[in-house]
Amino acid sequence: MKPAVFSYHRPTTLADALTLLEEYQLDAKVIAGGQSLVPMMNMRFAQPAHLIDLNALPELSGVRRSSDMLEIGAMMRHHELATDPLVRACCPLLAEAAATIGHYAIRQRGTLGGSLAHADPAAQLPLIASTLDARIEVVGSDGSREMPAAEFLISVMTTALQPEEIIRHVRFPCKRPSEGHAFELFSRRHGDFAIASCAVSVVLAGGTFAHLRIGLGGVGDVPLVLDDLAALYAGRGADASAVAELAAHAAAAIEPHEHREISVGYRRDLVKTLTQRALVRAIRRASEDF
Amino acid sequence: MEKKAICLNVNGTRFDVTCESRKLLSDAIREDCRLTGTHVGCEHGVCGACTVLLDGRPTRSCLTYAVQAEGTQITTIEAVAKDNRLSPLQQALHECHGLQCGFCTPGIVMTFEAHLRDNPWPTEEQVRDVLSGNMCRCTGYQNIVRAILLAAERMGEDISHV
Amino acid sequence: MSEQGFRYLNKAAPRTEDFRLLTGYGRYLDDIEIPGALHVCFVRSPHAHARIVSIDATEALSMSGVVAVVTGRELQQWTKPLRIAPPIEGLLAVETETMPVEIARFQGDPVACVVATDRYLAEDAAERVQVEFEPLSAVTDMWQALEPGAPQVDPMVRGNLVSHQTFAHGNPQDVAGTAFRVVEATFTQQRQTHVPIETRGCAAVWDAGRHHLTFHIGTQVPHPLRTQLADRLRLNEFQVTVISPDVGGSFGQKIALYREELTVAALARHLNRPVRWREDRLENLTAAANSREDFCRTRAAVDEHGRLLSLELEMREDFGAYCFFPANYLARVVAMILTGPYRVQDYSFDVKIALSNKCGTAPMRAPMSMTSWVMDGTIDAIARELKLDPVDVRRRNLIARDELPYRTPTGEVLADITPTETFEAVLKAVDYEGFRVRQREARTLGRHLGIGFCVVVEPTTYGSRFYKAAGIPGSGHEASWIRIEPSGVVNASVGLGPSGQGYESAMATAVAEGLGVDPTSVYIHLGHTDIAPYGMGSRGARSATAGGGALYLCAQQARRKVLAIAAGWLNVADDILRLNDARVERRNGEEWLDSGVALTDVAQRAYMDPTALPDGLTPGLEFHFAYDPPAMTYSNSTHACEIEFDADTGHIRIARYVIAEDCGTLLNPTVVEGQQHGAVAMGLSGALFEQVIYDETGQNLTGSLADYLIASATDLPNLEIIPMHTPNRTTAAGIKGMAEGGVMGALGALTNAVNDALSHFGAVADRHPLSPMFLHGLIRRKL
Repeated sequence: MKPAVFSYHRPTTLADALTLLEEYQLDAKVIAGGQSLVPMMNMRFAQPAHLIDLNALPELSGVRRSSDMLEIGAMMRHHELATDPLVRACCPLLAEAAATIGHYAIRQRGTLGGSLAHADPAAQLPLIASTLDARIEVVGSDGSREMPAAEFLISVMTTALQPEEIIRHVRFPCKRPSEGHAFELFSRRHGDFAIASCAVSVVLAGGTFAHLRIGLGGVGDVPLVLDDLAALYAGRGADASAVAELAAHAAAAIEPHEHREISVGYRRDLVKTLTQRALVRAIRRASEDF
Repeated sequence: MEKKAICLNVNGTRFDVTCESRKLLSDAIREDCRLTGTHVGCEHGVCGACTVLLDGRPTRSCLTYAVQAEGTQITTIEAVAKDNRLSPLQQALHECHGLQCGFCTPGIVMTFEAHLRDNPWPTEEQVRDVLSGNMCRCTGYQNIVRAILLAAERMGEDISHV
Repeated sequence: MSEQGFRYLNKAAPRTEDFRLLTGYGRYLDDIEIPGALHVCFVRSPHAHARIVSIDATEALSMSGVVAVVTGRELQQWTKPLRIAPPIEGLLAVETETMPVEIARFQGDPVACVVATDRYLAEDAAERVQVEFEPLSAVTDMWQALEPGAPQVDPMVRGNLVSHQTFAHGNPQDVAGTAFRVVEATFTQQRQTHVPIETRGCAAVWDAGRHHLTFHIGTQVPHPLRTQLADRLRLNEFQVTVISPDVGGSFGQKIALYREELTVAALARHLNRPVRWREDRLENLTAAANSREDFCRTRAAVDEHGRLLSLELEMREDFGAYCFFPANYLARVVAMILTGPYRVQDYSFDVKIALSNKCGTAPMRAPMSMTSWVMDGTIDAIARELKLDPVDVRRRNLIARDELPYRTPTGEVLADITPTETFEAVLKAVDYEGFRVRQREARTLGRHLGIGFCVVVEPTTYGSRFYKAAGIPGSGHEASWIRIEPSGVVNASVGLGPSGQGYESAMATAVAEGLGVDPTSVYIHLGHTDIAPYGMGSRGARSATAGGGALYLCAQQARRKVLAIAAGWLNVADDILRLNDARVERRNGEEWLDSGVALTDVAQRAYMDPTALPDGLTPGLEFHFAYDPPAMTYSNSTHACEIEFDADTGHIRIARYVIAEDCGTLLNPTVVEGQQHGAVAMGLSGALFEQVIYDETGQNLTGSLADYLIASATDLPNLEIIPMHTPNRTTAAGIKGMAEGGVMGALGALTNAVNDALSHFGAVADRHPLSPMFLHGLIRRKL
């Protein structure tokens, strides 16, 4: 399957890239890692007249810590997210999830910005960004704006990005002291998109919940973050019965579409299992960190 | 038909190629550089048969447009054996019967020539994890895994003798 | 020397073909440069069933690089249709145009072909070919297809029932009427496809001066393909050469002469320019060939000890829209060999094959793949229902050594097989009693382990007498030639078509053994029809028995002449001479001594000094031999699979997989091990992941490798193989062949293991794939 004809542009500055986007708008697509876009183009599902390559832009790379946030350039590769010492130290949940994306070769090329902009409901990075309430900075010729992940991810493969905008960087909150985390996913085969996934971030105080966020992926149009739980479970003992309750709560909270092979009932049971497993691991980590 | 004149560096050799922007790197390597060891199995990035190294990193050449590869160092299977001598990985694959039809083999060799540099002492689990991005329909993977572990062991011995 | 006194056979050795494949210097079809070649792209029906109202190629023809656009009408003039009408009772004749003219019968059916200077341009133009379709009702379910009023797929096949065959031996229904119990079980196998990593492709070069076609194509059957190609193009067979280069896997998909390849050949001749085609993966998954969509129902009558008294089989298969093979061909084998290693004489089958608006069928590695799953699944069903140990039920019913040769109810004679021996070996290896203890303990901890067995008897090689007895036209022979060169090295050839099975090495060993030279001095030529002798090619698992056998016997013939010449030279009787390592040795009491005469000396005399040869011997050392193996040859194995089932997610983890196998004399144990790994892998992959899915309107939903799932390295276990080889007493060198039994054993052993784990929940998995969603759904209802 060969792609349709397109004009290729390889800007070397962000300003040039934005000028091109301003000019071509919906006739253009940006290419970062290409691991999702190129298959679609090769199959002619996507036929942009202009392809704007972001790989030569220096402004989109790098990772730095700025107070209690980790600012990661949009072009950071999945492989780098999984192995970079700063990411692993400050944002271990992100590193753990990134290591599970696709396969080794895919991770060499795929990018943080690309994954977020693609907004596949089952993907790891949109889930982590949502669970951690990351801030996504997008930039256009007119200027930049920053928004929380929940605002950025609108629906299946649909984000708040305007045709003339790209993601510049994403800021993740650094993990709190004694924060435990865990990421669980279930798929048919290793490396496949998740049928369902669960990301947990928890802080304990004297064995009770002081902070709790549970995010679920693959369960709807966008990741579902159960952000009311923190208040509900604040001060409760992080024990087996609480975990079971939370898992049941998560299973009941999702509203997945009926799928040919995957029933709603199955997905609920799976979410319950994954949430249970993630909570147990996260709580254990939070306790060990003391 | 708009064609671009680009310069590809493949295995240390410069190739001046004139092609459309949409030409896949896999096709450019095979047709314009006439290096047919890189194979095409799917053109949607799943089978891994087309894997080459781009600046030393395993990359699916079917998911890269040739124009994107300008300015990078491309390494293909033809560069692995030196003077007709197989690399430790190639030798191990031969000894362990880690190939049958051979169509997926170059992609696997390129993936692991890079990975064993990243991770010289992989566990079987790690090998299978990395190998999961390469499809083989003939071998069931068992002998490939065995070969990779054998190669790693031998390369480790080499290092320890240095 | 091995047990049977072989020097080279039964010896593991690395392959000789590896160097080029490892270094990127293999020569697959797309690697062949053909200057000036045009590229084609097919326009395919988006509808499962539609009338082709009109095709307008005007815009396409005006586009850059486009040379021609042809449809079924042009091909009607340039080629003959395919007629499949073997004289088999219950099988209807079918005729297929080279490309449809009136009606498209499945989504992906080619309706036009664009020829351009490169594939990119051809695809651009294909998008611009305007085809007006009138959609018709489609039928996509084999049960609905056989109901009255269902849409007709093929006008020559009324009611879509292309084949119906029944058989009975003894009186199974009567026996069932008075039996202690009748156990019923069903088995549903999903539609699959071969997925060789190299898709289909071909390149046709027409020589207008010599009126000769050279056709490059990866094929398992070079000569039969050439015969068909010549016939369909209305050429003489001497006007066509087929050359099969290195092939990136086939598994049965690259046997038939499909419509695309024939179109390419016809175009090369008509345009008088070389034409080539590379099938892309979407086409390969949706429009090449599918396989395995089968349903079986068994009714087993048993006594209170679980002894089989009678067996009835009802089988249904969905053959898709087009027949590239006789439609009864694949299911028939299942029905004929179902009883396998089990003792039963009252047996009947009823097999119906339906057409539907889906991709046509081709045999896929082990076309009879579900046989052992069905039979051993039936045995396990008997055990379950009678609350007996499945091991005991097997022991009661497996044919014992002293019952061989055993005539099955369908008239097959089982001899030189060792099912009970392999079964006992596997039981010991997995420590069966120990497993049951572990299983009980695990259950108390909420973990669900399961163990499953499958005893496989694999028909590997069909001889011509088999076809004759079954009323099927065709031959089971294989042909070979050997030429010992003046320098003493050997060129040889056989009619097989390799696709990764290591023939260059394994067949060289067969020659080496038969002749008395080292395998490294033998070179095997394959795949070029001007060079290779006319053989039936590679299919089933016949290559070692038929191909290796032909070469071995031919080599023995060569050795006899060599020794006759040497005897004359040395002035001794030839029965005190032997050829060993390319040297003539003479016996001296118990010892063999070098005679001073080497093979090259004999060869030099034969070619350059023929007047010095003994009377009656002709010059040169060239030999040809055609070998027709016995009517049927079998190898056998027992598979055991241990799994853990995660009741929360439905996931299966394969903890252990053991095989005890008897494959007779092995040309190369290394190659045999690789074949076993590959066969089991394909079986496990099929049982767990693969499925071609069509929706109700006939749209194919699995057109990419992200949708059609194949097992990867993290999904498959390491196999433990226990060799228990015993020779066949009637084949050349005792060879039995193998390569498909692994698929059969994997389907059965894995499914039986899963059902063993599920027995705790009172659930039975009766269909594939064993997806987590399916298994979880089974127990969810029971919880």
